Amino acid sequence: MIISKSAISGLLDKLIAEYQVYAPVKEGAYSLFKQIKSGSEADFSNKNSKIPPKGILFPQSEKLFSYSVTPEGARVDECVDSAQKVIFGVRPCDAKSLLLLDNVFKNDKYEDPYYLTRRANTILVGMGCNDPAATCFCTSMNTGPFDSTGMDLLLVDTGDNYVVEAVSDKGRELAAKLGLAAAGDADNAAAAKVKEAAEVACQVTTEGLKAKLDGNFYDEIWDRVHEKCLGCGSCTYSCPTCHCFDIVDDAVDCNGCRIRNWDSCMYPLFTLHGSGHNPRTGGKERMRQRVMHKFKYFVDNFNATACVGCGRCIKNCPVNLDIREVLADILGSEARDK
Amino acid sequence: MQKLAAAIQDAAKKLLDDQKVDLVVGFARGSLPLRSTPGFIRKSCDAGKLTWDYSCENNLANYLRKREGKVAVVAKGCDTRAIVALIKENQINRDNLYIIGVPCSGMIDRNKADELLDGKELLEVEDKGDTLVLKGKGFAVEAKLADLCHDTCKTCCYGTPVVYDMLIGEPVPAKAEDNFDDVRAFEAKSPAERKKMLAEDLSKCIRCYACRNACPMCYCPECFVDCSTPVWIEKAPDTADNMLFQSVRVLHLAGRCVDCGACDRACPMGINLRGITRKMVKEVKELFGYEAGVNMEDKPALNEFTADDPQPFLVKE
Amino acid sequence: MQRNPYLPLPMKLVKNFTETEDKLIHTFTFEYLSEEDEKSFPYMPGQFAEICVFGKGEAPFGIASSPTEPGHLKFSVAKVGVVSTALHMMEEGTIVGMRGPLGNYYPLEQMKGKNVVIIGGGFAFTTLRSLATYMLKPEHRGDYGNLTVIYGARNPGLLLYKEELAEWDKRSDIDLVCTIDRPVEGWSGRVGFIPNVTKEVSPSSDNAVAIICGPPVMIKFTMPVLEECGFKPEQVIMSLENRMKCGIGMCGRCNVGSKYVCKDGPVFTRAELNQLPNEY
Ligand SMILES: Cc1cc2nc3c(=O)[nH]c(=O)nc-3n(C[C@H](O)[C@H](O)[C@H](O)COP(=O)(O)OP(=O)(O)OC[C@H]3O[C@@H](n4cnc5c(N)ncnc54)[C@H](O)[C@@H]3O)c2cc1C
Ligand code: SF4
Ligand code: SF4
Ligand code: SF4
Ligand code: FES
Repeated sequence: MIISKSAISGLLDKLIAEYQVYAPVKEGAYSLFKQIKSGSEADFSNKNSKIPPKGILFPQSEKLFSYSVTPEGARVDECVDSAQKVIFGVRPCDAKSLLLLDNVFKNDKYEDPYYLTRRANTILVGMGCNDPAATCFCTSMNTGPFDSTGMDLLLVDTGDNYVVEAVSDKGRELAAKLGLAAAGDADNAAAAKVKEAAEVACQVTTEGLKAKLDGNFYDEIWDRVHEKCLGCGSCTYSCPTCHCFDIVDDAVDCNGCRIRNWDSCMYPLFTLHGSGHNPRTGGKERMRQRVMHKFKYFVDNFNATACVGCGRCIKNCPVNLDIREVLADILGSEARDK
Repeated sequence: MQKLAAAIQDAAKKLLDDQKVDLVVGFARGSLPLRSTPGFIRKSCDAGKLTWDYSCENNLANYLRKREGKVAVVAKGCDTRAIVALIKENQINRDNLYIIGVPCSGMIDRNKADELLDGKELLEVEDKGDTLVLKGKGFAVEAKLADLCHDTCKTCCYGTPVVYDMLIGEPVPAKAEDNFDDVRAFEAKSPAERKKMLAEDLSKCIRCYACRNACPMCYCPECFVDCSTPVWIEKAPDTADNMLFQSVRVLHLAGRCVDCGACDRACPMGINLRGITRKMVKEVKELFGYEAGVNMEDKPALNEFTADDPQPFLVKE
Repeated sequence: MQRNPYLPLPMKLVKNFTETEDKLIHTFTFEYLSEEDEKSFPYMPGQFAEICVFGKGEAPFGIASSPTEPGHLKFSVAKVGVVSTALHMMEEGTIVGMRGPLGNYYPLEQMKGKNVVIIGGGFAFTTLRSLATYMLKPEHRGDYGNLTVIYGARNPGLLLYKEELAEWDKRSDIDLVCTIDRPVEGWSGRVGFIPNVTKEVSPSSDNAVAIICGPPVMIKFTMPVLEECGFKPEQVIMSLENRMKCGIGMCGRCNVGSKYVCKDGPVFTRAELNQLPNEY
């Protein structure tokens, strides 16, 4: 199938009539996924959005339920958002990250209705990356610039057009509904060529990483890698796979609501016990947790690395602490003699 | 620049070899164009990792508080102002600190480069002295250094370190006094306009606290935003709460903010935090004639009381 | 989709009892509002719940009552922060929210036919009370061998559940050893720290399991004593108390290595913990 670029705005308008549509919107020099009211707001010229689109399914702050308490009981009203959504222009790394998050929000015992309901009602229209950024290392993290895993449709930019590949049934249905024209052989060939040409220059060695992390919890390397870290949350909040959250109440008298907010393992309060004891006392322990969680614990639990190589944390870190270098340092580090 | 870097390396090497210090905190080459990164050098053979150029924007004073052992730091003007302020607040023991001062005529603002390139990716930078050539796939844009400079650096009058044990390079020529034109322009707006401006900017805040954590002067063991009894401020990034966060932060920094702009540079969302911090810097300067961290002698404005202190905030009879 | 695990079950506080002399620990009894509610809360000793004080928030607490005591739930709570303080000040009759039961429980099945040694220190005796009460129930007592309980506090006033302890003391099917740190007038029981008292009691490890809960120092010094008595890491069971929020393995807060204390624990054997980093 094929859409001409000049028709995109109109197509988005059509979608907006039926769905909540999210697309990258330009904010100065960067772009952010936002709900758009008109197709003309969307802008696909930037590579990765500043903050990943995960917040559409798992908002930075969301109301879980509201309540009112009476002497006899409590009335609790769930706030599950079941609006139909389309995220338009999702990059492969971000689509992949949602597959990873699916593991978190549905485990062997519990299901998170907030995330899962939004997820079930969301169509992902992906956009391949003709020209990956220098900070992208997706191909080292089990995805790539035209990996359509997790998407419903994939758009391939061939210059004047987008060649559209249907990836899932949901995607096929949407394409049918939109009445997308079939692509000619020349278009398909152009798309294939674009895919061929896209090159992710940056490679990160991951071979042996898991094995190393299995045994290096007490190694000296952790004394050093965190040293310049300021302990802020710009890496975790810009990461498409980070999912830690906090739950708080906001209430006046007997009426209120329970809210969940993103939280970060880089913050000292994250693990502070009621007794005052903190199992992760300093920056070293917190940095180790972030790396271990992504590259070991997640692998132990879900057989996948919780990093998709989007490179956002690299760009957003105020002190240029580069996860690629951290991984290289770990791989190159000596084991501590115990 | 290369010469300065070499001199810094030599100084670090010597300090470590002579066991005058156990650690040199300086800048190392970063992983992105126009980006250097804080470097921690403990062995003299690693001294070669230290660099100096237009991208040494982080305020290294942040790494010096309550540090054990003898430490040397590579410090530009604003770093030394923070060091002075922290010495006065007993956060740094001057006797254990060796300051390798490096005069600075301004660091480069990557956001400005990004804006100039309108989202196109910067891959390489060619240094031509007064201009830089910003290069990427299929483009090369020449830009004046002065145009890429951080706004903080443009108004900064203390490029030459205010304290040091060794100075590397030539002091930068004195500049005209900062007249706070930016703040005055802000003040000239109506309250409604000001509020709108701040709200628009701070609506982008994601509460990553990079600003707070990058600030050398923000070091409270418990920040008011984290306090649970009482909850002063909600954790959700609501615009009103974001504004409250910055307002209280700035109040806590009254007479302490050294106008280094580290908060502004750290913000991943490109929020103009200087607009807020500098309003307070100006206020304190006008009321008390005090600038934080510019010398070892002056008593911090809020630590001293004199009978003729201005008290415009008191209701007059 | 399953039941929304974030929604609390409303329950009524029927008793707010000052448990210890220093008044820092209160025991709370909550009643279900309906039989249906009670059915929706089937729990086992060792599990915990998130108690929600509406308007203040939630915090996790081990369930001190036993499933053999129907109609209500009991918790003993130390006053440390927002939620616990609000609970301490709460008037009887107030409605709270209860989320749970959460976590795993003591391996009662595997413990069948074995001698059981329970060691508790300070106010960490809550789920141990649940466990002992469960085992002492006539229909369960026969499933287990000898039951030894070693329980210590700084002084007699800080022991929890004093009336029950007195009753247990009279029974012949439980061997109760209470101890306090320093001698006080009127105390006829043992005096000494738990590790030393455990050494004196010297429980046999033959066909036995030891279950130990208490402050980190107590655990640290009691562990070697148990080892001396021949307890293997597989025979020692502990309950962890990491900071928690969701209680369902999603918020990412309570992990020790790749295990989530809330979902995979809080009950672990020493052998399992030996495989994990010491972040607790
Ligand atoms: C499985 C499990 C079972 C438990 N069982 C019990 C039990 O049976 N009985 C019991 O009493 N406890 C138990 N606990 C511990 C209990 O969960 C905590 O004491 C409780 O969460 C405290 O909640 P709070 O809201 O009262 O305290 P919070 O308000 O969360 O504060 C707790 C402490 O942390 C500090 N603190 C909190 N927020 C901050 C901040 N922003 N900055 C600095 N310091 C801060 C406070 O000063 C305070 O000392 C259990 C915990 C777990 C995980
Ligand atoms: S760790 Fe960094 S590179 Fe990896 S997914 Fe998260 S933000 Fe992207
Ligand atoms: S508030 Fe900003 S400008 Fe002021 S000292 Fe802190 S980081 Fe520097
Ligand atoms: S650095 Fe920027 S985004 Fe982060 S908390 Fe500060 S103002 Fe908000
Ligand atoms: S408490 Fe949320 S993961 Fe355990």
